[in-house]
Amino acid sequence: MRGHYRTGILVLIALAVLTGIEYVIAVSFPSTALLFLVAIMKAALVLYYFMHVTSLWSEEGGH
Amino acid sequence: MTLFSLGLVRGIIGQVIAFLAGMALVVVIRALMGLPAWAAEPAWVVGGLVSIVGFLVGVGALSDWLKWIRGEETPLRHGPPEGKPAWVRYFEVDYNHKVIGVQYTVWGLFLLMTGGFFALAFRTELVQAGIQFLGYDLFNSFIGLHGIVMIAAILLGVGGMANYLVPLMIGAEDMAFPRLNALGFWINVPGTLLILLSLVVGGWDAGWTGYPPLSARGPIGYQLFFLGVYAVGLSSIVGSINLIVTTLRMRSKGMSLFRMPIFVWAVFATSLIQLTATQLIGLSFLMVLVERVLGMGFFDPGVAGPGQQLMEGGGDPLLFQHLFWFYSHPAVYIFILPGLGIISELLPVFARKPLFGYKWIAMSSLAIALVGFLVWAHHMFVSGMNPDLRIPFMFSTLLVAVPTGVKFFSWVGTLWGGKLHFPTPMLFVLGAISVFLIGGLTGPMLATVTTDIPLHDTYFVVGHFHATMFGGFVFPFFAALYYWYPKVTGRMYNETLGKIHFWIMTPAFWVQTLGQMTTGMMGMRRRIADYDPTLGAGNIEAVHLVITLAGFAIALGVVLMVYNFIQSAEVGARAGVNPWRSRSPEWQIPSPVPEHSFPSPLRVVGEPYDYGRPGAYVALGAAGDD
Amino acid sequence: MSAVAAHADVEAHVAEADYQERTRRNRLGLWLFFVSELFMFGGLLVARFYLWRENGEIVRPELDQNLGLIITSILLLSSYFMNRAEVAIAHNDRTNFLVSLLITAALGTVFLVGVVVFEWGAHLRPWDGVFGAVLFGMTGMHALHVLSGIILILNVWWLGTKGHFSAEEHWGVEACAIYWHYVDLIWIFFYPALYLIGRAVPA
Repeated sequence: MRGHYRTGILVLIALAVLTGIEYVIAVSFPSTALLFLVAIMKAALVLYYFMHVTSLWSEEGGH
Repeated sequence: MTLFSLGLVRGIIGQVIAFLAGMALVVVIRALMGLPAWAAEPAWVVGGLVSIVGFLVGVGALSDWLKWIRGEETPLRHGPPEGKPAWVRYFEVDYNHKVIGVQYTVWGLFLLMTGGFFALAFRTELVQAGIQFLGYDLFNSFIGLHGIVMIAAILLGVGGMANYLVPLMIGAEDMAFPRLNALGFWINVPGTLLILLSLVVGGWDAGWTGYPPLSARGPIGYQLFFLGVYAVGLSSIVGSINLIVTTLRMRSKGMSLFRMPIFVWAVFATSLIQLTATQLIGLSFLMVLVERVLGMGFFDPGVAGPGQQLMEGGGDPLLFQHLFWFYSHPAVYIFILPGLGIISELLPVFARKPLFGYKWIAMSSLAIALVGFLVWAHHMFVSGMNPDLRIPFMFSTLLVAVPTGVKFFSWVGTLWGGKLHFPTPMLFVLGAISVFLIGGLTGPMLATVTTDIPLHDTYFVVGHFHATMFGGFVFPFFAALYYWYPKVTGRMYNETLGKIHFWIMTPAFWVQTLGQMTTGMMGMRRRIADYDPTLGAGNIEAVHLVITLAGFAIALGVVLMVYNFIQSAEVGARAGVNPWRSRSPEWQIPSPVPEHSFPSPLRVVGEPYDYGRPGAYVALGAAGDD
Repeated sequence: MSAVAAHADVEAHVAEADYQERTRRNRLGLWLFFVSELFMFGGLLVARFYLWRENGEIVRPELDQNLGLIITSILLLSSYFMNRAEVAIAHNDRTNFLVSLLITAALGTVFLVGVVVFEWGAHLRPWDGVFGAVLFGMTGMHALHVLSGIILILNVWWLGTKGHFSAEEHWGVEACAIYWHYVDLIWIFFYPALYLIGRAVPA
């Protein structure tokens, strides 16, 4: 049962780490491009793992 | 059956009650906050916003969703409402796309005539220099209302054609989301009513573009205008979602993308623009709305709170123009793409020849839609934006001529050597091509920076714009009305009256648009109530008189058409299944189309436009039946 | 073909599409709505980078960094619990499904309080020049979506307690979940735009 939830936890950890990195970048060497890059990485994680964007075109996943 | 059982009446009552409730809410909140209880602007804004919801609740557009919240199933109801006459369904929330298509079209025609009325009023004022019967404020409100009411009318006309035709043309039973479809129509009604209501609270005098800083300071009428546009925009968005999903997921067997009728391609391209760009006009108007109500200085360079140092520039009115035109330029492609699709759809039927370059036409619609997103700043050549931006925007704008040219060559190629027939729809298609050519050829002059700078804000632009709108929407829309009228009603319209309509309206429009361009060259500015009668060596008043007379002639033509349609619904000859000998799916089923359009699944057995060749495009029933 | 069989054919033809097909259509429709909204939020971002400038340099008002980091983390955490609820219903783990939904709604409410009470309650006001206008415009539009998301989650939770949704049929849960993740996605871009990017200027 627990196994199903593992992916979610890993993604959460990755997102938390990226948010930390974002904050460090902002206070130590602010760079708009770098901050956007991190945001895009976070967005990609959310889109792929949480929002299942691939279910839009895969023939599986009508529940 | 009583008057109150009519959905439209319940909706309007709901809107009035909600308007008052919203105002009361503001009064109570302000009193609780210790402010003076009555403040006109917040009261009208909140009242207007709530009134849209009130209308939707009253008409019943939200009923099924409110049941879903409670977990109740709501099966789709088919057929006319029980215990009421059949015509009542057109004034009620109905989920059949054919009913919704007719609702869109009729409300669109009503708005078209309302917008035309405003135009006739201020055109009459313009016949002589000086002010005769419209005051400055009313004149300005009327030009704004003419613009935005016409835009709503066009959006509704486009919605009507798309809703009625797309499911029939791809062999789908209905739209993907019938409830959303009904909401998409009904939210237009409170929206347009709010726009008209703005006249009683001072109107609005900035023209339909609503540029700040004027729109951030004028009368309360602006707020109702913003809210109304918001509602109509929401309709565009939900309608486009519906059309895209329907086109992508509900095509019948064998209906590959490149075998769809060309009109479906045009609607698909249109929907992509509506889906995305519409948000930006909503956002820009919302920003002005909150700037007025809460003092949020997006566009006001001078706003600085206590203890707040003025930033470099502060707010910026140019930002509004960028956001606004990011919708409002692509919007003109929303208006014309379906119309150009109608032209391409009808020409092969009346030329009895295949459509020339089907794939190129399909792709050119998408190309116009995409390039349309890259041209917005050509409206701002003299706005004071960075002058270096003008060159790339000039090039991208001129690029639009390429896919448009593809369409023109395809039309000429389709006509060439065809067996031409000239019933009213074909006449309007040819009229559309001639008018759109005028609009198209005057486009590059306005796209080019050097010629745009002197022409900007003159009547030349008005002439160009009206030629594109009439050629791209009005003429094709009227062609579509005449062409599909037998399918919708089952009866033929009066051909003689139709032809009279065409021969009044087309020359009148040529005179009008060329006259507008002429006054522009004489130095007439747009959106001006009064002008110098010595312009054009003293001839400008005569030209204005001619334009106005032409405008009245166009109005006469439209009235003839409406009379024709109302009368023919009673006495017209039975049209039969396929009076135009078309191969398109909607002409293979009875007229008027039954509740469930297709008696059996549609199959595609050939190419869509192989007129003059043996075989068929579509067949009904299982493969063994024919 | 006999008349009866033909009639049955029509009935089958006009019947509503099956659950799988309807789910695919619903999903595509919802994603198109997201695309549409993206342009609205994108417009707000454009306004932010257009207006928050001094001599061409990107600036931002000085905001409470701790508050920004805390509410961002809370929203991310809520996204995790939303995902947990969806995975739970897909495996028929009803207890976990309902509990996760409640946790998500609670975390969402904390985020909303963080924005509306603490961020809006700090020194900036909507009428304080472009700093106030853009800050309240962006957070306000986002907060409106968070609020609607919370209402949606509570609605799904309530229906869940009444026995709706199953491992096979739970489009309602999926829709609610991806909407919530979408709200989080927007904040992923709004957080750096408001709190991190540009030189801090005393507001």
